[in-house]
Amino acid sequence: MILIIILLLPIITGLLLLPLKNPATVRIIALTAAVANLLITLGLIISVPSATYSVNWTHFMGTQFTLGYDGISLIMILLTNLLFPFIILSGFTRSHIKIPVLNFLILFTQSSLLGVFLAQNAFLFYIFWELTLIPVYFILLLWGGENRRAITLKFFIYTLTGSLFLLFGIIYLFTLTPGLHTTDFSAFNQLHIPAHTQNWLFWILFIAFAIKMPVFPFHTWQPSTYTMASKQGVMILAGVMTKMGIYGALRFLFPIVPEGVLYWQNIVIALCLTGVIYASVIAFRQSNIKRLIAFSSMAHISLMAAAMFALNVYSLQGLLFQVISHGVTIVALFYLVHLIQERTGTLELPQMGGLKHVAPGMAILLLMAVLGSIALPMTSGFVGEFLIITGLAKQSLWVALIGGTTMILGAIYMLYAYQRIMLGDSNPAFSKVQDIRVLDYFILIPLIAVIFVLGIYPQPVLDLAEASVNSMQKLLGPAGEVISQLTH
Amino acid sequence: MSALILLTVFGIIILYLGFVNNKTILAPVAITGLVATLILSVKDWNLGSKYFHDMMIIDNFSISFNVSMLIITILIFLFGINYYDRMEHHVAEQYALMIFALTGAFLMTSFSNLIMLFLGIEILSIPLYILAGGKKSSFRSNEASFKYFLLGSFATTFFLFGIALVYGASATFYLPEIKNYIAQFHGHLPPMLMVGLLFILIGVAFKVAVAPFHFWSPDVYEGAPTLVTAFMATVVKTAGFAAFYRLLGMGLLPLPGPLEKTLWVMTGLSLLVGNLAALRQTNFKRLLAYSAIVHTGFMMLAMLSQHDSSAAVLLYYTFVYSLATVPLFIIFIHMKRASLGLEELSIFRGLYRQKPWMAVFMTILLMSLAGLPPTAGFLAKYRVFILSISQGYLAISIFAVIMAVIGIYYYFYVLREAFSESNSPTPLVINKLNAALIIVCGTAVLLLGIFVWSVPI
Repeated sequence: MILIIILLLPIITGLLLLPLKNPATVRIIALTAAVANLLITLGLIISVPSATYSVNWTHFMGTQFTLGYDGISLIMILLTNLLFPFIILSGFTRSHIKIPVLNFLILFTQSSLLGVFLAQNAFLFYIFWELTLIPVYFILLLWGGENRRAITLKFFIYTLTGSLFLLFGIIYLFTLTPGLHTTDFSAFNQLHIPAHTQNWLFWILFIAFAIKMPVFPFHTWQPSTYTMASKQGVMILAGVMTKMGIYGALRFLFPIVPEGVLYWQNIVIALCLTGVIYASVIAFRQSNIKRLIAFSSMAHISLMAAAMFALNVYSLQGLLFQVISHGVTIVALFYLVHLIQERTGTLELPQMGGLKHVAPGMAILLLMAVLGSIALPMTSGFVGEFLIITGLAKQSLWVALIGGTTMILGAIYMLYAYQRIMLGDSNPAFSKVQDIRVLDYFILIPLIAVIFVLGIYPQPVLDLAEASVNSMQKLLGPAGEVISQLTH
Repeated sequence: MSALILLTVFGIIILYLGFVNNKTILAPVAITGLVATLILSVKDWNLGSKYFHDMMIIDNFSISFNVSMLIITILIFLFGINYYDRMEHHVAEQYALMIFALTGAFLMTSFSNLIMLFLGIEILSIPLYILAGGKKSSFRSNEASFKYFLLGSFATTFFLFGIALVYGASATFYLPEIKNYIAQFHGHLPPMLMVGLLFILIGVAFKVAVAPFHFWSPDVYEGAPTLVTAFMATVVKTAGFAAFYRLLGMGLLPLPGPLEKTLWVMTGLSLLVGNLAALRQTNFKRLLAYSAIVHTGFMMLAMLSQHDSSAAVLLYYTFVYSLATVPLFIIFIHMKRASLGLEELSIFRGLYRQKPWMAVFMTILLMSLAGLPPTAGFLAKYRVFILSISQGYLAISIFAVIMAVIGIYYYFYVLREAFSESNSPTPLVINKLNAALIIVCGTAVLLLGIFVWSVPI
C-alpha cells in the first residue's frame, strides 16, 4: 500500500493542480506533495531497509501489477524523491506562464520515474519507462530555449529508438518463459538462455540504456538537449533520467544475459572510457557553461557505466554511491548555471569575469559545487569515484588509469571555468548583478550540505549501497558462477 | 442475416428520405438503423448460421468485425451531422451510399465462397467510387473518384481472372473445398492454380492498399471529401482485412512457399514505403494515407503470423487504429475550416494555445497511432509483436520495430506543430457534439490501453 502511495501521490497531486489558477498556491501544493513523498521514502528506508515488498494489485496481460523494491531501487527512489522537491522549489523564482501545467508535468515525471524503479515486471517497467518521456517531451517543447522544436524531436526519437529495441527484447524474453508466459523479472532471472543468443540479446537490451545514460557513441542527443532545456528540464534530465539507464542496465543485463555481459564486457568498458576522454576533452573546449557541464556530466556518467561493467564489489558500491552523489551535484551545478544566466544574461565564458566582486555568495556556493563535481576529498564525489577507480583497478590497471583521468581533466576544465566566471577583473557590465537571494539559499545549501555530509560521513549511503550490492550479487548469481569458472 | 437485411432496408429508406426536404432527420434515422443492426448482429453470437447454400457463414469472426465496423460508422455518422450541415444537396445519398458500402463489407466478413467475396468487394467499392467524387465542383475530388474507379476496376479484373483460374483448376468456388484441393499437392501447385491464387491475393491486396498496390490510396485519400476519407481509412480497411484473413484462414493456409514469400515481401514493403513516403509529406491527409499503409504492414504481420489468436489481434489492431483515426480527421476538418481550406501540417499551429483540451486529446490519439504506452495503440502493436516473435519471425519483427520508430517521427512532427505558437491565430469553433466525440474516442483509446480488451473468436 505504501508503495502505491509513493507512486501515485505526485501524479494525483499534479492532476488536482490543473484547475487551480493562483501560481503561488500551485507551487506550494506541488512542493508539499514532493516533500511528503520524500519523508515517506525516508521512513521506508529507516523502517524496512532492503526487503522485497510486493503488492499484487490486478491481473494484467497474464502477469501481475507488481510493485516492489530492493536496495538498488531504493537508492534510485531516494535520489528521485530527494531531488524533486528542489526541482519544484527552483520554479518559485520567476513567473512562468501556465504554472499549473508545468508543475503537473514535473509531478507526472516523478510518478513515472518512481514507477520505473518500483516495477517488478518487465512489461510494467517498459510502460513507465516510456511514460517518463511524455511529460519530459512537453517540458522541453513548451519551456525549452533556442531551437527547441528540432532538438526535442531529436531527443525523443533517439530515446524511443532504444526503447523499442528494449520492447523487442522484453517480448522475446516473454516468449522464452516456460509454461504460461510472463514478464515478471523473477521469471526472466530464471531463464537459461544459450550463449550465442545472449550475445545478440545483450545489445538489443543495452542500446536503450546506453542511449539514456548516455554512453559513447549514443550520446549525440545529450549536449544540445541539455543546453536547450529549461532549468527544471535539465535538472530532471541530468539528475534523475540518466540514472534510469544505469538502473535499467543493472536490472536487465546482469541477471538475464550474464554471459552476454561477460562476452561484451571489454568492448563496453572501452566505449565507456572513450566517452570519458572524449567528453572531457570536448568539455575543455566549450565556451558555453551549460554545454561544458553537459559534457562533464557525460564524462562522469561514462565512468559510472565503466564501473558497472567492471563487475566487482568496489566498483558496484562506488557506482551506487555515485548515483546519489552525481545526481545531487549536477542538479546544484545546473541550478547555479541558470542563476548566473538569469543574473548576467549570458552563458558564454569569454564574456564573464570578476563575478565574485558583485556576488560573493554565489561565488562561494559555486566553488563548493565545483569541488563536489571534481571529487575533492571531503566531498561525496571523492568517495564515489575513489571506490569506482579502486574497482576498475581490480579489473585492469590501465582501465583505472584512463578512468582516473576524469578526475584530473574534470579538475582542469571545471576550475578553468570557475576562474573565468568568478575571478579576474570585474566586468563593468555586471556591476548591477544581484547576489543570491533567500530562495537560492533554500535550494543550494541543502544540496551542498548533502555533498559535504556524504563526503565526510558516507556510511549511511554506503550501508544502503552495500545491501544493494549484496542483492545485486544475488542477481548476478549465474554471472558469478561463470566468472568463477573462468578464473579457475 | 436479419442484420444484413435491416441494414439494406435502412439504406433504401435513407435514399427515399432524400425526397423529404429536411436534412436534420437523416443522420438520426441512419444512426437508429445502425444501432438496430448492431443489436441484431450481436444476437447472432455463437449461432454460426449459414445462408445461400453455405456461400455465407455468419460466425463469431464476422460478427465481431461487423460490430467493430458498425461502431466506427456510427462515429462517422455522428460527426456527419455537423459535416453535412453546410451541404445543400444530395446529403441523403451520402448516408445511403455509406450504408450500402457497409452492406458489402458485411458480405466480405462472412463469405465462404469466392463469388460471395467478389460480390462483397464490388458492393463495397461501387458506392465508394461515387462517394470519393462527392464534391462535384472540386477538381481533385473528381480526379480521386476517377482514379479510384479505374484502378479499382483493374484490380477487380485481376481478382475475377484469379477466381476463374482457380475454378478452372479445382472446379469449385467454395473455400473449404479449394483448401482440400490444394492440400493434395503438398505445396507443389500446378501453374494455373498458382497464378489464380496470386491474382486473387493481388485483388484483395489492392483493396487493403498493401505496397506495391498502394499507389491509389494517397491520391484518393487526399481528393475525397474528408469524411469519406475517414470512412475509407477505417471501415473499408477493416473489411478488407477481415476478407483477407478469412480468405487465408478458410482456404489458402498453409500457403505454398512462393505465395507466402510474396506476402512477406509485401508486408516489409508496406512498412518501408509507407514510412519513407510519410516522412516527406506536408499534407495531413496524404500523411495519414501513407501512415495507413504502414499500419497495413503491421496488420499483415499479425495476419501472416498464423496462430489461433491472430484474428483477435487483427480485430484489436484494426479497431484501435480506426478509433484513433476518425477523431483525428474530425480535428483536422476543424483546423482546415479555421485556416480557410488549407490542408498543410502547419494548420495545426497554435492549437494548444486556443483549445488546450483538444491538443491533449490529439496527443493521446497520435500517441496511439504511434504505438506509445499507455494507449491502446501500444497494446495493439505489443500484441502483434508478441504474435510474430512467438511464431519465430524475428527478422521481420526487428524490421517492424525500426519502422515503428520512424512512424513516431512524423506523428510527433504533427504534434509539435499543435504545440507551437501560431503567428496568425484564427478562431477555432467546435460544436458540443464533435467535442464530445473527440473526448469519448480519446478516453476510449486510453482506457482500452489500460484495461485489456479482447474478443474470443
